[in-house]
Amino acid sequence: MQMSSFWRIFLLELTAFVRSRSLAILVAASTVWMFAAPFLFRGDGTSEGARQLVVHYSLGGVAALLAVSLLASATGAIARERAEKRLQLTLVRPVRYMTVALGKIAALSAAGALVLGLAALIEAARGDVGRPCSHLLSPVMQSPQDEALEMYEAYMKDPRTPEAVKKARKPVVVRLLAQRAFDRYETVRTNDVATWRFSLPRGTDDADIVKARMRFTNSYGMRQDVVGLLDFAADGAMWSGSVRNNTQAVVDIPLGASGRNVVAEAGMLSFRNNGKSAVMLRPRRDVNLLIPADGFGWNLLRAYVELVSILTLLVSFGVFLGSALGRPVALFTAIVSLAVAEMSPSVVEQYPDELEKDPVDAIGLHITRAAVETTHPISSLEPLARLAEDTCVETRETVRAVLSNMLVAPLLFAFLSALVIPRKTSD
Amino acid sequence: MNDDMVISLKGVSKTYRDFWLRPMVNAVDGLDLTVGRGEVFGLLGPNGSGKSTTIKMILGLLAPTAGSVSIFGLSPQSVEARARLGYLPELSYLHPYLTARETIMYYAGLCDLKRSVAAERTRELLKMVQLEDVADRSVAGFSKGMARRVALASALVGKPELLVLDEPTSGLDPVSTKEVKTLVKALAMNGMTVLMTSHLLADAEDICDQVMILDRGKSVAEGRVSDLGESLEEFFLAKVGNADEFVLADFLA
Repeated sequence: MQMSSFWRIFLLELTAFVRSRSLAILVAASTVWMFAAPFLFRGDGTSEGARQLVVHYSLGGVAALLAVSLLASATGAIARERAEKRLQLTLVRPVRYMTVALGKIAALSAAGALVLGLAALIEAARGDVGRPCSHLLSPVMQSPQDEALEMYEAYMKDPRTPEAVKKARKPVVVRLLAQRAFDRYETVRTNDVATWRFSLPRGTDDADIVKARMRFTNSYGMRQDVVGLLDFAADGAMWSGSVRNNTQAVVDIPLGASGRNVVAEAGMLSFRNNGKSAVMLRPRRDVNLLIPADGFGWNLLRAYVELVSILTLLVSFGVFLGSALGRPVALFTAIVSLAVAEMSPSVVEQYPDELEKDPVDAIGLHITRAAVETTHPISSLEPLARLAEDTCVETRETVRAVLSNMLVAPLLFAFLSALVIPRKTSD
Repeated sequence: MNDDMVISLKGVSKTYRDFWLRPMVNAVDGLDLTVGRGEVFGLLGPNGSGKSTTIKMILGLLAPTAGSVSIFGLSPQSVEARARLGYLPELSYLHPYLTARETIMYYAGLCDLKRSVAAERTRELLKMVQLEDVADRSVAGFSKGMARRVALASALVGKPELLVLDEPTSGLDPVSTKEVKTLVKALAMNGMTVLMTSHLLADAEDICDQVMILDRGKSVAEGRVSDLGESLEEFFLAKVGNADEFVLADFLA
């Protein structure tokens, strides 16, 4: 890596961003939004609901503003210089094309990090940085994929299975079955007990205030009336609580500790249905355990790092598009890609049937599924949702996001840019 | 390759293609060209003769469709070759948000000069192009002549062995034109190899040791200016013909 050239290009891009007043405009718009957001959003009537909305949408608004504006700047970083013939003056110097792309990616990402950092500081200043957050744990279960493979033979032999499915390729059927397994409902009848196993973070002991989070909705999204008892037993320690709910879809149930001095690594959460009607739960989606983690301040820092990593990925993509295409086409492609990345998961979730017979719909579904898989590194991160509901933005996810979005993606897109820059420069 | 050979083009052709890769224009057609160390070489020709395309291939900004291009015996796209190159384009193409000093420092950084060395070199160049007084003003407000001088200083900041000048006196007033010509001659005296294009035959006649005349992508004449035995303008018109005048005569008729 040519550090001198890298810094020169980095500083040039950053200087242009500052002196063109782009940075000042973004800082001003973000600050106004951060202070205006609490007055714009009304929650569900509770102070907690209002706080969650403000945390989510104030930082989310700044992140969205930065995503669009940085994408516009990134697509122009090389394309505009090429159109105005300035790029050729850089390319005739002893600088590697990859260094040019990396310098621009780093500069725009740094500008984004700066603006987002100011917004995060405002959020930290008005929030309670010591407010506790929790690890969000899911039950330890067989993977939906393995469950689908086990179901496959029996499903194909079942006379009720449609002929069209029997003719489909195995990976298609397994994917459908895996989706079904992921969403599989477990019915807990009156006076029945359902049990789920959880692995606990190292060092969890019975002094920790454990909560169970349960989503009480049926397959039509209707809220259910629930009365029941919850026990969490782990290595001799016992946490207990009760639930009586007829208003909320998602309920956090505090579990009181037994007082025995035990450090546990795993435990069983059981739910006894004492209500009059059966309760339906999708264990993989609807049952979680909340174990105390650190505070809001650290969680905000991790969420900030994840958001910066997402912005870096978008900037890298934008710089690559600007290297390969003219600016208007690159910007259009980038915005469409962003919209597709945002909408595809819900499209695939709502129209999951790969046995679609209409060829146009089938092609559309394949493209959408490919978009979902390609954009998984972004869509799987939910830093703001977690930050708002005080569940921990896990360090390992943050590290993974940094590695993939701030290291691998910029290098990959800079490499691809280096391949196309000399081919496009003299058009 | 001979160590004294700085630029070598062998059988170089360049065909521009459309979106469907169909050939549109043969900009350069089987061109052979060599420029030796310390020479001031002029590439002359009417509009559309292939001068800019040839320069872009020498700079590594364009890949030839056929033939080979080398500078200092290296591929023009290699970092090693580009480290020995300076380029002044036809228009200055400066970054509008930088000052004159920052512009030269930026290109010095790209040439991998240490900061202290770059700062010293920038000072020298600003003095040379007589822009010391406005060194810290944004180049966006510069006149065309001032911008041209900043671009020339930027081209020289890496102490190149080969200087490629595309219409170096374009947009300059007579005084500045004379200064640039004097400067190029001085650089050549110090051993720098210069390749330049110009529409102004008088400029080429004043500066160049050797010229090549291009027409429709082909070399129609090449030789030392001192060996022509007639003015460059007469020689040029004899070789290329005054096509523009014919067109003008048709139009006026």
